[in-house]
Amino acid sequence: MTDSVVEVEGLWKTFGSVSAVEDLSFSIERGQVYGLLGPNGAGKTTTLRVLMGLERPTRGSTRLFGTTVTPSSPELFRVGALVEQAAFVPHLSGMRNLRLWWEAAGHHMRDADLDGALAIAGLGDAVNRKVKTYSQGMKQRLGFARLLLGQPELLVLDEPTNGLDPGEIREIRELIGRLTSQGATVLLSSHHLSEVEQVCSHALVMNHGRLITSGTVSELVGTTRSIYVEVNDKQRALAVLSGLAVVARVQVQGDGLVMELVDGQRSDVAAAIVSAGLQLETIMPTQRLEDAFLDLLAAGNAAQPQLHGTSPANSIGAN
Amino acid sequence: MMSLIRTEFTKAAVRMRSIIIAVLLVGLPTLIVIAINARGDRPSRHDGNGDGLFRLASQSGLLVPAAVLSVTSGFLLIIIAGTLAGDSVASDSSWGNLRFLLMRPVPRGRLLAAKAFVAATLIWAATILIAAAGLVAGIAMFGVHAVTVPGIGGLGGGFSLTTGDLLVRVVAGTAYVAFGFTALLALGTLFSTLTDTAASAIGATIGVYIVSEILDSISQLGVARYGFPTHYLGAWETMFTQNTYSRDMIAGVVVQLCYLVVFGTAALLWFKRKDIRS
Ligand SMILES: Nc1ncnc2c1ncn2[C@@H]1O[C@H](COP(=O)(O)OP(=O)(O)O)[C@@H](O)[C@H]1O
Ligand SMILES: [Mg+2]
Repeated sequence: MTDSVVEVEGLWKTFGSVSAVEDLSFSIERGQVYGLLGPNGAGKTTTLRVLMGLERPTRGSTRLFGTTVTPSSPELFRVGALVEQAAFVPHLSGMRNLRLWWEAAGHHMRDADLDGALAIAGLGDAVNRKVKTYSQGMKQRLGFARLLLGQPELLVLDEPTNGLDPGEIREIRELIGRLTSQGATVLLSSHHLSEVEQVCSHALVMNHGRLITSGTVSELVGTTRSIYVEVNDKQRALAVLSGLAVVARVQVQGDGLVMELVDGQRSDVAAAIVSAGLQLETIMPTQRLEDAFLDLLAAGNAAQPQLHGTSPANSIGAN
Repeated sequence: MMSLIRTEFTKAAVRMRSIIIAVLLVGLPTLIVIAINARGDRPSRHDGNGDGLFRLASQSGLLVPAAVLSVTSGFLLIIIAGTLAGDSVASDSSWGNLRFLLMRPVPRGRLLAAKAFVAATLIWAATILIAAAGLVAGIAMFGVHAVTVPGIGGLGGGFSLTTGDLLVRVVAGTAYVAFGFTALLALGTLFSTLTDTAASAIGATIGVYIVSEILDSISQLGVARYGFPTHYLGAWETMFTQNTYSRDMIAGVVVQLCYLVVFGTAALLWFKRKDIRS
C-alpha cells in the first residue's frame, strides 16, 4: 500500500455536452504540496468539488486516505477545504460562524483548535463582527480559520487568492507558506504560476479538463528553456533562427521573438543573429514557470490526440 | 442530530427577519382588536365565516384568536410559512455556505431533516404567536366571557360556548392551522433544494399556494379540489360557527400528510444525489 492521501483515477465529469474534466488521474502522497494549474475553465474547481463529495463523477473515482469519496464521507473530517471563495452566514459574526460550522457535526468547541486557527487567520477583534461587514480578504482568512479548526491532514485550496488585492494576496500566500512549512499535505489550485512556484513542490497542469503534464515544480521548469530576443528586423530574424538546429518553435511575441533552446546556449543564438548582420537589442532567458506553463498549454492543445493515453511529460518535446 | 438542529435554528432564527415577522405577528392582532372594537355591535351584513367570527369576537376575548387566524391563515401566514420553508436550504446555497457545511461533513439527509424541522418549528411558533397575541389583546379589550352564537340565516340552531369550550377550541384551531402548513413546508423544502436562490424557492412556494387557492375557489373543478393543499385549511372554523368538529379536519390532516410524504421524499431523494454547485 502506498501512502496516498489523494487518488484520482480516470475521472470524467460532464455537464450536458460540456466535459469539465476528461480522464484525469493523479495521486498525492503525504507531505506533498501539489499545485493544480490551469487557466480559467480548465476544470480545477470541478475536480476539487468531486474530490470533496459535492459533485458526483460521471465516470472514474476519487479516493481520500484510500477510501472512495461519497457525499459527506467521514474522511472529509480529515480534510480542510476552501472550494471557491470562502462564504459564511452573513448576518452572524465570524466567531459565531466558526462555532456553528464546527458544532453542526456534533463536535464540541473544546475539541477545536480555535486559538491556533484564529492566530493563523489573524483577524483580531474583527472576528466578532458580522461577516457581511468583511472584505473578501477577511472572509478568505476566516475561511482558513474555519478549515484549520479540525487540524486537517490535507488542505484543499481552490484559487485561494482569487479576487483579492495585492496586500491580501501576500498575506494569504504567507499563510499558506506557514501551513506548508508545518508539514501539511496540500492540493492548491491556481491559474497563477507564480503562486505555485512560490508555494508548491509539485504541480499538475490542466487544460480543457485534461492533464497536460505533472511533476515536481523544478522538473516542470526544466522541461522548456526559452529565451526572448529583440532585434531590428523581426521577420529576417525569424527566418534565421528557424534555420538553427539549437532552436525549436520560434515565434514572434510582441516586440520580439520567443524560442525554445534545444541543447544549446544563449550565446549560440546571439552569435547567429549577429553574424546574419542583424542588430541584437535584447536577449534574456524567460525561464519562468509562467512561460513553461503557457508553452505546456500550447503544446497540450496542439498535441491533444497524441497526448491522450501516453505519458504527457514525454509529449512536450523538451528533448 | 440535536446539535445540528440547534445550529440550524440559530442560523434561521437569529436575524433581523425574525424580529420583523414577530412585530407583525404581535402588531396585527392588536390592530384587529382595535378595529373590532371600533366597529362595535353595529349590525352588518353576513358573508362568510371570517366575517361571522368578526361579528362575534367582541363578545369575548377568547374568540379573537379564531377571528385573527381566519383572516391571516389564507395569506399572511402562508407568506411567512412559505418564506421559512423556501429559505430552508436555499438560504445556505445563496450565501455559498452550503458547500462548506457539506464538506464539514454534515450528512445530506440529516441536514435536510434538521432544516425542515427548524422551518416547521418556526412556522408553528409564528402561528402560536399570532394566536396568542390575539388572545392577549382580545382578553384585554373584551374580557373573558362565554359566547352565544345565533343561528345562521334566522333558521334557529343557535348555540352557546363556555369559556372552557372556547379555550379548547382555540387551542385545537391554532394547532390545526399550524399543521395545515405541513404540505407547504414539504413543498417549500423541495423547491429549496431545487434552486440556489432563496427568493425563487420562496416565490415558487407561495405561488403554488396562491394558484391552489384560486383553483380551489372554482367549484366546476369538483372533487379534484379535495386534493388541493389549501382545500381543507378553513375546516376548523366550524368549531366556532356551527358547534361541530368538522370531518373535513380529518380529511385535511390526511391530505397534509400525503403531501408531506410525497414532497418530503422527493426533496430527500433529490438533495441526496444532487450536485452542489452553489
Ligand atoms: N454546473 C455546471 N454546468 C455546466 N458547466 C459547468 C458547470 N460547472 C463547470 N462547468 C464548466 O466546466 C468547465 C470547468 O469549470 P471549472 O471546473 O469551474 O474550471 P476552473 O475552476 O478551472 O476555472 C468550464 O467550461 C465550465 O463552464
Ligand atoms: Mg475555479
